[in-house]
Amino acid sequence: MSKPYYEFFCPVKIIAGHQALEHLPFELSALSVSRPMVITDKGVRGAGLLALVEAIFSASNAPLAAVFDDVPADSSLATVRKAAQVYRDKQCDCLIAIGGGSVIDTSKAVNILVSEGGDNLLQYSGAHNLKRALKPLFAVPTTSGTGSEVTMVAVISDTDAGVKIPFTSYYLLPNAAVLDPRMTLTLPPLVTAATAMDALTHAVEAYTCLAANPMSDAYATAAIQKVSRNLLAVMDKPDDAQGRLELAQASTMAGIAFSNSMVGLVHALGHSIGAICHLPHGMCMSILLPYVLEYNESVNGQRIGELLLPLAGPEVYAATPQSRRASRAVQIILLLRDNLHQRCGLPRTLQETGKVPLEQLQAIADMAINDGSIIFNPKESDRTELLAVLLKAWGVAMVPAANLPVEVATLAPPAPMHPAPD
Amino acid sequence: MNRHALRLLWIRLYVTVMLWVIGRALVATSRVDETVRAELEPLPSGYQIQMRVLPKGPGFVVECAGDGTLVRAGQVKQRPELSIGFKHAAHAFLVLAFQESTAQAFANDRMVADGDVSHAIRLVRALNTMEALILPRWVAERAVKRYPQLPAMEKTRKATRIYALWVKNLLLLK
Repeated sequence: MSKPYYEFFCPVKIIAGHQALEHLPFELSALSVSRPMVITDKGVRGAGLLALVEAIFSASNAPLAAVFDDVPADSSLATVRKAAQVYRDKQCDCLIAIGGGSVIDTSKAVNILVSEGGDNLLQYSGAHNLKRALKPLFAVPTTSGTGSEVTMVAVISDTDAGVKIPFTSYYLLPNAAVLDPRMTLTLPPLVTAATAMDALTHAVEAYTCLAANPMSDAYATAAIQKVSRNLLAVMDKPDDAQGRLELAQASTMAGIAFSNSMVGLVHALGHSIGAICHLPHGMCMSILLPYVLEYNESVNGQRIGELLLPLAGPEVYAATPQSRRASRAVQIILLLRDNLHQRCGLPRTLQETGKVPLEQLQAIADMAINDGSIIFNPKESDRTELLAVLLKAWGVAMVPAANLPVEVATLAPPAPMHPAPD
Repeated sequence: MNRHALRLLWIRLYVTVMLWVIGRALVATSRVDETVRAELEPLPSGYQIQMRVLPKGPGFVVECAGDGTLVRAGQVKQRPELSIGFKHAAHAFLVLAFQESTAQAFANDRMVADGDVSHAIRLVRALNTMEALILPRWVAERAVKRYPQLPAMEKTRKATRIYALWVKNLLLLK
């Protein structure tokens, strides 16, 4: 693609592969730090993943100085302050985040406090309010979806004010991300599927939204190819370490892509569903992605069509006329979604989640219209259009009109989705 | 002074004038158009919105009255609640000369938003509405992602009122 101007930045060292974790003590010594504090959650500890890291550090005579394993699913300012205090009490000199998005975001925020001093995290909220490098931070993701290990954003809840506070700075980026398949081998099938669809969505939106650029395109298409080639194989054989590694790399590549070219309407709607109905993020992404692509097709069908190559391979791409590639790409994603539903019960519609009442769709649309991601979507949207997308994603075509709320029933019935692929 | 320096000087002058004009036009539009008022109504009284070229201007600061209308800010806060900063006058020129839409400028990393992102989205929609109202359609189409459905009569009526208010405020030094 041609792009008049863009920026791309990813200074995170990627340490990926089998036994990648064993490289971590060396990475610490290379940065002249020796008292790491691990930040993680109870789930990671319970799965035995922390024990593995502890053993690796003990074997290299570099024990962990502290472990904070009290990170909740939705991290808060109080959690960050508590972890920062442990860091100071134990005189640590670097951070190792072992976990999913919440743990990594918490670690980034803790790094602000322990590097800048004080307890007032809010003074650093917003965009680019950090002016110098922080302490060394190493991220070890235990899910393959968020890409948080390579993004310059952290989101922390202010539970008193009831809002989520974003922090954006180049200095939040970890020094290194360690992708070791042992960290994702024990992920349950549903989580594997949902997080991989999250990664796929990051990559697809990075490629199809307004800020796409040639560098992020390269990462995005590689990530899409890895997910489409490996996800179902891993679902069928969860102990496939190589497949797990491929998904972990896909997630990181997608993270690099979207960190540099942002995301669009799938995330705008997904953030709002998550906030209102508390549906897991990956699940939202999996359900919404095909419907949003279909909605955007009139504006950027060519870019969506180009994704058929990494999604389905060269034979399908070459055999599909250019005018049908976009709809075919959407079909492939629908097929993947259906296959995942068959294998692990990943919901195909908002209705199937059982957590999104039809009556709340309007509130979701009202919130999504002001979500920060919407500005990067290629198509301008209004509330009515968002509601129409949500109705399709909810599966409203399957509900008799008489059973719909009045405000929903008065809307034009949604057009049928693309027919199933041949 | 070489040709490049002269061009940048002209760009800076153009951007200074345009930001001065747009700040006042936004204030006038908030009094004329109900969709802009609806966008800005959730922002509390005293909430300041800044749009400027980094690091030290030019730019404008407007203040929310709490009912969706805007006024020019009297005393500018050290850190306005929402600040949109162009990284350079040359980047601001692309947007203010309608060569790049506001959304595309965000996507192209021309500007940085500091503050509540959802408020920035509201501001962008308010700016889009203002541009659609006061600019000829062929210019406005380059400045927004999608030109709204706007009957010619309504556009003419509102644009006339916005320009009239703009001139009135200028004469009254408001």
